[in-house]
Amino acid sequence: MTTTSLADRLRDGVYRSGLLVLLAALIVYFAVTLPAFGTPRNAVIILQSVAITAIIAMGVTISLTVGGFDLSVGSNVSFVVMLTTAAQVYYEAPPVVAVLIGLAAGALIGLLNGLLVVVARVPDLLATLGTMFVFAGLALVLTAGQSVSSGSIVSGEPAPGRITEPFAWLGRGVVLGLPVPVVVMIVLGVVVTVMLSRSRLGRLLAAVGGNADAARLAGVRVGRIKVTAYVLSGTLASVGGVLLAARLGRGDVGVGGSYLLETVAAALIGFAVLGANRPNGFGTLVGAVFVGVLLNGLTMLNVPYYTQDLIKGAILVGALVMSFSALFKRKDAS
Amino acid sequence: MNPVPTDGGPGAQGAAPVLSARSVVQRFGATLALAGVDLDVRSGEVLGLVGANGAGKSTLMAVLAGLLAPTEGRVEIDGSAVTLGTPAAAAAHGIALVPQHVETALVPELSVAENLVLDRIARGELGALPSRRRIRAEARAIAGEELLERAGIRLDDRAGSLRTAQAQQLLIRRALHRGARVLILDEPTAALSVTEQRELHAQVRRLAADGTAVVYITHHLAEFVGLADRVVALREGRVVDEFSTPIEPARLVSAILGPIEHLPDERPVREAGDAVLSLRGLRVRADAPTVDLDLRRGEVLGITGLLGAGKTELLRQVVGAEPLVDGSMTLDGAAFAPEHPADAIARGLGFVPEDRRRDAELPEWDLVRNTTLAELRPHRRFGLLSARSERAATAALIRSLGIVAAGPRALLSSLSGGNRQKVVVARWLAAGSRVLVLDEPFRGVDLGARADIGALIRSSAVEAAIVASSDPEEILEVADRIIVLADGAVAGEFRPDELDEASLAELLVASTEKDPA
Repeated sequence: MTTTSLADRLRDGVYRSGLLVLLAALIVYFAVTLPAFGTPRNAVIILQSVAITAIIAMGVTISLTVGGFDLSVGSNVSFVVMLTTAAQVYYEAPPVVAVLIGLAAGALIGLLNGLLVVVARVPDLLATLGTMFVFAGLALVLTAGQSVSSGSIVSGEPAPGRITEPFAWLGRGVVLGLPVPVVVMIVLGVVVTVMLSRSRLGRLLAAVGGNADAARLAGVRVGRIKVTAYVLSGTLASVGGVLLAARLGRGDVGVGGSYLLETVAAALIGFAVLGANRPNGFGTLVGAVFVGVLLNGLTMLNVPYYTQDLIKGAILVGALVMSFSALFKRKDAS
Repeated sequence: MNPVPTDGGPGAQGAAPVLSARSVVQRFGATLALAGVDLDVRSGEVLGLVGANGAGKSTLMAVLAGLLAPTEGRVEIDGSAVTLGTPAAAAAHGIALVPQHVETALVPELSVAENLVLDRIARGELGALPSRRRIRAEARAIAGEELLERAGIRLDDRAGSLRTAQAQQLLIRRALHRGARVLILDEPTAALSVTEQRELHAQVRRLAADGTAVVYITHHLAEFVGLADRVVALREGRVVDEFSTPIEPARLVSAILGPIEHLPDERPVREAGDAVLSLRGLRVRADAPTVDLDLRRGEVLGITGLLGAGKTELLRQVVGAEPLVDGSMTLDGAAFAPEHPADAIARGLGFVPEDRRRDAELPEWDLVRNTTLAELRPHRRFGLLSARSERAATAALIRSLGIVAAGPRALLSSLSGGNRQKVVVARWLAAGSRVLVLDEPFRGVDLGARADIGALIRSSAVEAAIVASSDPEEILEVADRIIVLADGAVAGEFRPDELDEASLAELLVASTEKDPA
């Protein structure tokens, strides 16, 4: 392919940077037409609206990297929200302990997923579909189906503990002018992106996803790598769960459910960023921000809220067509 | 080559061909799988078909069974050209293929009866809602009371629970019931016991006596003795020889392998040192004899044998890809029992697998990442991989192995087969492997790359190597010592300068001769 025509190069360019160009164009368009859009304050609002989604989506990205799929992240979030709030309100756990319990629970859910996939050999989608159901149910069982908030009534008496300020700070606090969840998103986004693209673990994760047989014969312990991927995915989902509980200041039943589709969408849209055609950390971040910008701008244009899912779905389908049709084209050429 | 009228076996005498291939050429991209094949199949004969891997057997069968439309040439039935193109069209002309893996021709979740009449249900011949009774009755008529009784097949059982021999019998019956005049059996005895094999042979002879033409493919060449009326040998997509009764397996081997050319130059055969790797009491299969081998320092040990001799099974155990069936190993004098390829790699072994595409390549990765995969630790700086270090290591290997590529960052999929193989070998040099185990390293590799890889294996970069190939010529090029494997047993040992074609051919079929079949 030494003699690429202008049209070819153009097509390649659109395909490689299409999503980024589109994102820039959207921002410019909204900023010009909507005076309220292009303000630093609104930028923070957009980032805050996508922060938790982006963090969980980083985990989904890791599971996709090994050729797996973690469907249980939404239930994981729900479960961790109930667990951390119940620990504080029902059992007077200090915030630090509550956070650690939440993160440990997320890691254990990931470990369970990994063992189901690797040891019990259940296909990824089915294993995590199963645990998705189990932990959505367990989140309800934990509090007998009740929401948890400071002053909840347990067995006829007010609960002893409450959601404390230090815990709520995780969801509502501000560091260097940025909300804490946004700071966490940026830090974890960088860490996961660097891990996936520059570390030995990231290379091995990608090798397992690319060709597990070849990876095994090259000495990669495929089972361990897969379990690691699910543990990381579960842990990142629980980080999202802790931040969500802190932002809400209470444990609402089933609050994590919507995160499954959102995060999967962000990770899959990320496939199309920079022509990667595979899960990548930076792409996932861009995918999450893209959805946030679009919804924020459209809301300001008075597009009704009930069209949001439709819009997200349309973006996802468009991005998928972009990356998979290009993938097929490349395969044909070789 | 024109079809030669030969005095075939008992059934073939003078019969007009029922199925013929005429100058059939089949191309897959740049690969020429069939280079103009003429073949006649006559009613009432058992026609054997032999050839090494890649000789074109499977492609020819696919063309005759209607699975492939030939690029050039034509298929004739009773002397007139037909267009097959689909299995249904072939079936309508009375051609049926029983695949090697019989389970692929059955729907495991459906009952035996449903499988037998599936094509008729699909064509709507049994009505929109065929009753169980109707299906059973039709299936019983197809299979025959006698077979169901003798083979202990129950029509209501799931097809997935059938043993290979049972499934095979049912597929043959179904084909005959549909009016098959030509029955193609692809490796039919690969999964059969000795008794079942004998029964199948008897049945094939009976079918031929009744006028059916049977095309029989097997790599157990001894099977043809007393079974085939005629055997056609394919090599590199051409019919190279044809044999009539009496069939001699050793002559078939020579035809499959082609003439062995001794090396023109006097390549020094190195005298080897002490044993690096020792195998004691290994078995390629649980029911195979034991294998003892020593790989000595400074030598390239060649292992050759026909397809199915057990080369791959043996090597995969050595490198920890499969658990040891039996026996023990030592490496550098210490016990060596790898439970995972990683254990073997840690002890300095590198493995180039037979199926490169499936077991070694990451085609969408660049050369750098493909090369460094097996050992990434030396490229870490402050916990992260250094792109510069990886690239430098790969660039050096690209130069020393003469890999033709746009650069270290070119995708592996953009390279030719020979260069991809070099990258797989480079992976082990990059990992610092001292002992290389290579399974069919020259398959799909051009001559230039083959010479380069051979020179590398023999260079001082490698302490010792095992090279396995079913092509003795490839082994002769690189090996200091040659082991012949036949049916899982060591049949003989040669130095490359003492090898002659006739005795090699005899060794290759050595243990198949003793086969009770």
